[in-house]
Amino acid sequence: MTTRILTTHAGSLIRPPELLELLARTEAGEPVDDARYEDVLRRAVVDVVRRQAEAGIDVVDDGEMGKATWITYLYERVSGIEERMVPVEGATILPPSRDRQAFPEFYAEHDAAFAKEIANQARVHETEQPGEIRAEAKIWACTGPIVYDEAALRRDIANFKAALEGVEVTDAFLPVVAPASVYWLRNEHYATDEEFVFAVADALRHEYRGIVDAGFLVQVDDAVLVHEYDSILSLGGSVEDYRRWAELRVEALNHALEGLPEDRVRYHVCHGSWHGPHVYDPPLADVIDLVLKVKARFYSIEQANARHEHEWRLWEDVKLPVGKVLIPGVVTHHTTVVEHPELVADRLVRLAKLVGPEAVMGGTDCGFAQGAFIRRVHPSIQWAKLEALAEGARIATKRLAGATVAA
Amino acid sequence: MTADRILTTHVGALQRPPEAEAALVGEGPEEALRDAVARVVRRQAEAGIDVVDDGEFGKSIWQKYVTERLEGIEQRRHERLPLRGRDQSRFPEFYAYAQQTPDVLFHGSDRAFWAAITAHPVCVGPLRYRPGAVDRDIANLKAALEGLDVVDAFMPVVAPASAEVDLGNEHYETQEELLFALADALREEYRAILDAGFQLQVDDAWIPALWNQEPDLDLESYRRFCQTRIEALNHALEGLPPDRIRYHLCWGSWHGPHATDIPLSEIVDLMLQVNAGVYSIEAANVRHEHEYHLWEDVRLPDGKKLAPGVVTHSTNLIEHPELVAERIVRFAERVGRENVIASTDCGFGSRIHPELGWAKLEALAEGARLATKRLWG
Repeated sequence: MTTRILTTHAGSLIRPPELLELLARTEAGEPVDDARYEDVLRRAVVDVVRRQAEAGIDVVDDGEMGKATWITYLYERVSGIEERMVPVEGATILPPSRDRQAFPEFYAEHDAAFAKEIANQARVHETEQPGEIRAEAKIWACTGPIVYDEAALRRDIANFKAALEGVEVTDAFLPVVAPASVYWLRNEHYATDEEFVFAVADALRHEYRGIVDAGFLVQVDDAVLVHEYDSILSLGGSVEDYRRWAELRVEALNHALEGLPEDRVRYHVCHGSWHGPHVYDPPLADVIDLVLKVKARFYSIEQANARHEHEWRLWEDVKLPVGKVLIPGVVTHHTTVVEHPELVADRLVRLAKLVGPEAVMGGTDCGFAQGAFIRRVHPSIQWAKLEALAEGARIATKRLAGATVAA
Repeated sequence: MTADRILTTHVGALQRPPEAEAALVGEGPEEALRDAVARVVRRQAEAGIDVVDDGEFGKSIWQKYVTERLEGIEQRRHERLPLRGRDQSRFPEFYAYAQQTPDVLFHGSDRAFWAAITAHPVCVGPLRYRPGAVDRDIANLKAALEGLDVVDAFMPVVAPASAEVDLGNEHYETQEELLFALADALREEYRAILDAGFQLQVDDAWIPALWNQEPDLDLESYRRFCQTRIEALNHALEGLPPDRIRYHLCWGSWHGPHATDIPLSEIVDLMLQVNAGVYSIEAANVRHEHEYHLWEDVRLPDGKKLAPGVVTHSTNLIEHPELVAERIVRFAERVGRENVIASTDCGFGSRIHPELGWAKLEALAEGARLATKRLWG
């Protein structure tokens, strides 16, 4: 039997203008009719699911249409959290990094452009002193016990189920945030870091289970687990400091996943999706043991961008445990140029030859819209890339079948 | 030139600093241009680039600068035309957005560059080359190279086919006459550069990009059109030493989807007709990276070399040196290690932030060192 190389993606897709308009009004404090929002959201999910199927994606999601960002949606779904604006250096919400220290002029330009997209999360004010500016960014503080409220999850599940009716796909997933990735959230309630992290994990556990119980794959998104490596080192910390920080969070994630069937769990890590140089990203080799500790069957990792493309060779040295599946990025949000399907096929085939075709699924480096107001490429390019991914997977399937026959 | 290692170079345009921009638009002293060239040459050497250039600091933009150096041209202006072509037809919403949004297709605000983008040169009399600017550029590059340890130096020029695009004709009887008159004029520039001891790099992005720009042409008529342009270029190159000449093709460096680019396989025979010793092609961006496979079927003629792009301006991420090495080795395995020069997809000037451009050139050099170790053991 020949194995067909299936396709999926990392989760977030660009929101339609109609939905964005309502979200912008909410952000601006203007009244928005709830029923209208629910209706627009429902239709957005229907459209995005159909469009993925048409593009040839086998394992689809709801594009995260119901979430503000892949991280902060959680803060709207749990109790014990309040929002506030705090002073920051520079109008950015991106993490500190050695990358930022090494490319200061680039990042100044990048932040100025990005600030327009994330105006809801960071602001620059002129002060009374001429020429002086003050920047502030939104953070969240945990000031009471974290308790998960399932209302929004139930809505997302219902929308997604309805959208999947009559659409032919192989499987369906919903993305969620990992305990390590609850960024911009300060603990002011729990006595220790560990207590706080496990309280977050306990809350997330409801979400993870709710998704699996609804019949979907759950995809746990954990970019922060990896990009915190550069952050901690940039602030003077050591690799040991990072490992300690990360290991606690992986443990908390496994706690949140406990009892869930591993074959319904996907785990996505990446190096942060901003269009920076990424020179100080840790090599995958330095964090792969942490990744493989997570009780998931599918591991989604970057492999389609200039900084991480070469890391397919890691699997020459590291053994992928039996039964696990890699979802390498074979198209990326990091360039406007649309991947040639032959390149996509090359990327899939070389990995399949190392780990076996049954252990490879075609994916994307990261989402295309990490927040409602963030988009990493133009929507038409997002869809062209997903189509190139599907076309490349068809070519790879043919080539791998040919190789089997030849053998 | 043979070496026992992988040499490095790039396509030519680097990010012009503000003081050189001011000199070029006549608002600053000429010495500022000379000093900027000295700095950019030194910086290339420091980054580990073996075959360096002047960053094209003396030129407004690679395909139109020559119209500022020709008699018989009147510079008129036109509004920035809506982009048209196959890619534009397939992605109308992207291109509409890109044209309204700064820093999508281009990077930076260099005035010499933007003035040339909206210039509409028209041929109104016999074309004759005025050597003043090239003499200045040659002198600047020569001065910059003094005391520097590099393998060689090159100077980019435009090919007749690429200079012809957007050049109005109110003088010559036929388009072909204009084309060959351009070739004759350009020959003066080509010769001056070679006589000065530099390698000559002929830039001809418009050959592949015309497939996009002229959606009404079918493959046969497009190839016929290009064939005449290649002949005009060879006419301009006649008698000049091929081993000192590089020919650069690319699909247009704008940050677009490029999903309708013509495959290299459809034009590789045209490229190889050009009497050059080195062929510089895109191979580091996601639309053309797979085309190294072409050299499994196409034989690179003896004595010719390839300078594939192994880093690209089309992404902000800095190529990992391991990826650079992998790309170089793939080419070396197909055409021979002695026939590969590691290069860039296209120029970095007006496409990417300077800090990123330099980091990419450093990654290129580091990757070439890794590839050398793998290929020479």
